Amino acid sequence: MGLSSAALWSAGSLGAGGFAAASSLSQELWATPVPQRSPLGFHFTDVTSPAGIHFRHNSGALGKKYLPETMGSGCAFLDYDGDGWLDIILINGIYLLSPDTPISVLPPITTLALYHNNRDGTFTDVTRRAHLNVPMYGMGVAVGDYNNDGFPDIYVTCVGQNRLFRNTGKGTFVDETLPSGLGKRQSFSTSALWFDYDRDGLLDLFVCNYVKWSPEHDVFCSLDGKHKSYCTPEAYHGETCWLFHNRGDGTFEDVTATSGIFNSNSKSLGVAMLDYDSDGWPDLLVADDTQPNKLYKNQHNGKFLDVAMQAGIALSTEGKARAGMGVDAADFNNSGQSGVAITNFDNEMIGLYLPDHGEYSDIATQAGVGFPSRDKLGFGCLFADMNLDGALDLVVVNGHIDDTVRNVRNVGYAQPPQLFLNDGHGKFHEVGAQTGGGFNAPKVGRGLAHGDFDRDGDNDLLMTTNHGPAYLYRTDQTSGNRSIRFHLQGTKSNRDAIGAVVRVSANGITQSQMVKGGSSYLSQSELALTFGLGKLEKIDRVEIIWPSGRSEEFKGLSAGHGYQCIETKGISQMDRY
Amino acid sequence: MPRSHAPGSSPTAGLIFGLIITLAAVVAYSWYITRQISGLRAVQNNLVDRNRKDSLQLLRVQNDLNNIALAMRDMLDNAEPYPLTAYSAQFRQIRSDLDAAIRQEEQVSVSTRTPEQREYLSKSLAQFWDAMDRMFALAASGNEKEARTQIQLSLQARQEALSTAVARLLVQNNEAQEQAASQVREIYDRVERQVYLFLAATLIAIVLTSLYLIRANRRVFAHVAALSEQRSDLAQKLISTQESTLRYISRELHDEFGQILTAIGAMLGRAGNHAPEGSPLRKDLQEVREITQQTLENVRSLSQALHPVMLDESGLESTLDWYLPTIERQSGMRIFYEKTGSPFALDGTAAVNIYRITQEALNNAIRHSGSKEAWVRLRFSPQSLEMEVEDKGRGFPAAPTGRQGIGLVAMRERAELLGGTIEFLHPGGSGTLIRLRVPREKAGADGKQNFSAARG
Repeated sequence: MGLSSAALWSAGSLGAGGFAAASSLSQELWATPVPQRSPLGFHFTDVTSPAGIHFRHNSGALGKKYLPETMGSGCAFLDYDGDGWLDIILINGIYLLSPDTPISVLPPITTLALYHNNRDGTFTDVTRRAHLNVPMYGMGVAVGDYNNDGFPDIYVTCVGQNRLFRNTGKGTFVDETLPSGLGKRQSFSTSALWFDYDRDGLLDLFVCNYVKWSPEHDVFCSLDGKHKSYCTPEAYHGETCWLFHNRGDGTFEDVTATSGIFNSNSKSLGVAMLDYDSDGWPDLLVADDTQPNKLYKNQHNGKFLDVAMQAGIALSTEGKARAGMGVDAADFNNSGQSGVAITNFDNEMIGLYLPDHGEYSDIATQAGVGFPSRDKLGFGCLFADMNLDGALDLVVVNGHIDDTVRNVRNVGYAQPPQLFLNDGHGKFHEVGAQTGGGFNAPKVGRGLAHGDFDRDGDNDLLMTTNHGPAYLYRTDQTSGNRSIRFHLQGTKSNRDAIGAVVRVSANGITQSQMVKGGSSYLSQSELALTFGLGKLEKIDRVEIIWPSGRSEEFKGLSAGHGYQCIETKGISQMDRY
Repeated sequence: MPRSHAPGSSPTAGLIFGLIITLAAVVAYSWYITRQISGLRAVQNNLVDRNRKDSLQLLRVQNDLNNIALAMRDMLDNAEPYPLTAYSAQFRQIRSDLDAAIRQEEQVSVSTRTPEQREYLSKSLAQFWDAMDRMFALAASGNEKEARTQIQLSLQARQEALSTAVARLLVQNNEAQEQAASQVREIYDRVERQVYLFLAATLIAIVLTSLYLIRANRRVFAHVAALSEQRSDLAQKLISTQESTLRYISRELHDEFGQILTAIGAMLGRAGNHAPEGSPLRKDLQEVREITQQTLENVRSLSQALHPVMLDESGLESTLDWYLPTIERQSGMRIFYEKTGSPFALDGTAAVNIYRITQEALNNAIRHSGSKEAWVRLRFSPQSLEMEVEDKGRGFPAAPTGRQGIGLVAMRERAELLGGTIEFLHPGGSGTLIRLRVPREKAGADGKQNFSAARG
């Protein structure tokens, strides 16, 4: 593909003014531009194969229906080589062998995959080169620069021992699990996130654990009464989440018990960070499966208090603990406070929580998210402004846990992902069928992340499926809407600026977003923040509140650009988004 | 048709009575339904809703107790790399939720709860947390083994007892719920019965009122019809009496006075001839004879005016041929007379009435129109006879009064008597057009119209 197709794209479908800047910024080299105008003002293109991503998740299923097989896996956007272009990591399982599996049937080993962004719309699998071809039953991934060296490190949650891979900065990773003190733990971990809960400038680590499971203690469950199916977590004991404090010397201290995080009844799958009480200290929202969700309020002294019940977010409105899977928190109503979305089991609907100064109310039904999600089993979910209109939309991937579910009720195993467009007035409209690119083709969806991998200023989507391919959807705007993007770098704060809050004021509306680790399900989105501005040329003001507490303000920034902000060192316009 | 008709009693009193009865029934029924609904609301608020809320809180308590059991099981399993004290946050969390649940439960719990039950629950809980605190104190002092023994010996048993007590309360609630449901059912049944009763009573009231109204209406209509008949009778009698009287006077004048005056005139002529030529007597006689001749003409003219003998002898057309120039001369109004169609013989009464209507219409035009011209059109068609009198004057006033009003009424009556129709029109917005239409079978000489009284 060359310049001619980009020109065709520009002239053929994007005659409307206002897109010129974005289109000139968008890559001339990108593959397969689609000369069409979407009624939504944007469209998706499935670029997985053209981009050279040929990953397939291996659930390790050999017919035993072991619980972990149906739960994975996650994905993340990260810039592991610091070249400004987002790379991709896709987590993978291996075969879970029961004690009686004969040696002769040992299957080939599968590993996670790291894809390097070639800056031309294609990716190269660099797993082996990066020394990440390590066999493990991976579930989720958390990306964070825990040693503040400028290169993101990777924590992979597993069934068994989780792994910490330190980024050497030379394109390779070193397994630091044992030296860092994170070793010698066998568990069924799920989502994890890096955040600086004590605001000491060092990223700490929160890890969700699901249930106490091992092949030796597998339980027989059945949906139809005949065939074995994957169990719901009621069949197993819960397992506490973990919190590890970063000592700053490359090692971590387990503060699970002393911080008040410990809860042996938890069956946690998703975690999102937020500042629910607007006190400047990061809190955590943990989605629990068949257990009350947890809202860990940061008490500023290294301790957390679960206030989910008081905040009205622990249970459904009927007082029932739902099957919380994925979770994201964001200011979706531009109120300055974090709302929350939690995906649940089929017949339970998504929980969409509207914040009201520390208390939440589930508005899923009124907001138009409830009904379309009722027959879906949701996993990954995230808030992102997909049409760049200044209101955060909600993206959800769905998929059931058992393929025999069709035998017992009218719910699909593979289910279509959904995109709920936020109209900015309290209503969401599901438009998954209109986005193009095969987005709404049924999938057994699990992980979901967003990032602007082509640096054209909008949110592209990465999703994983259970025992199936991963999908990379490129988003292209056709309405002329543009964004402004912020790449934050902490100096006193942690280098990734995780926990920083950016408030963009334009045209009388103030949007706010937090630089977050974790969120969604087993996955992590890019750390740079994308603010949709519609057709606006400029923003009035941007305020950055760093995790250190420092607040900075800049005025008169132009739409259609990316900005690099370094704590205490000011802001500079980048050559691309 | 009876000539006199008693108007009967007015239906208003009956209707007001019916209305009052209906309103009273509606008010009584509304009151009854309101009472039943408030009863239902009370049952729902006091029993059903509170019971449901109470059960929800009890389930929450039960859930917390289960979580306690699970956590204690994990503590005994000793599978975590954490000291027992790590569990304290978890228990604190459960405890705060349990306390909140118990508090809310007490607020909504139904009155059936005995003080003993309340006391048992709160006391057992207090003892449980006390034992829990002691267990954690043991664990904190490093004596984890003894703490675990405490869990096994004391805490687990207490937890089970509490769980059983809460389960019992839930069962109790369930029973109360069933009771309330049956109460609600009873209320619904009662209301349903009353609704049917009320509907039946309303239906009967509506049917009776309707029957009464129909009867009253029929009586009123009959009365009105009788009155109308009487009025018409009277009008006809009046008109025929008038006509016969006029005809009589006219004939008397013509025949009697005419003969006498003619005789007087002849005698005076003869007497004058006997008087000497040029004598004053002859002159006087000549003068008296002229006066007599004048009087004879006046009498003839009056007779003609009262009832043109021509009508009886030569018919309507000839009478109009004579009358129109006469009235034109007398009034000074120009009258254009058109006659179309092939004439047919008219019944005598019809001719009189048509003539009278024409007369009245022309008189009106002369007196009230202010116009100097009038048109009279007589049309014969195979089906009917049509007579029009039109002027281009001021037209009729909106509400004609006095003499004019009586004239119009008389015209209508005569038209009705003829079995024809009369219209009063304002063609083009000004002037007056009076149009009389009489069907041939009513106006023709073969018609049934007959004034025996007039002839008599």
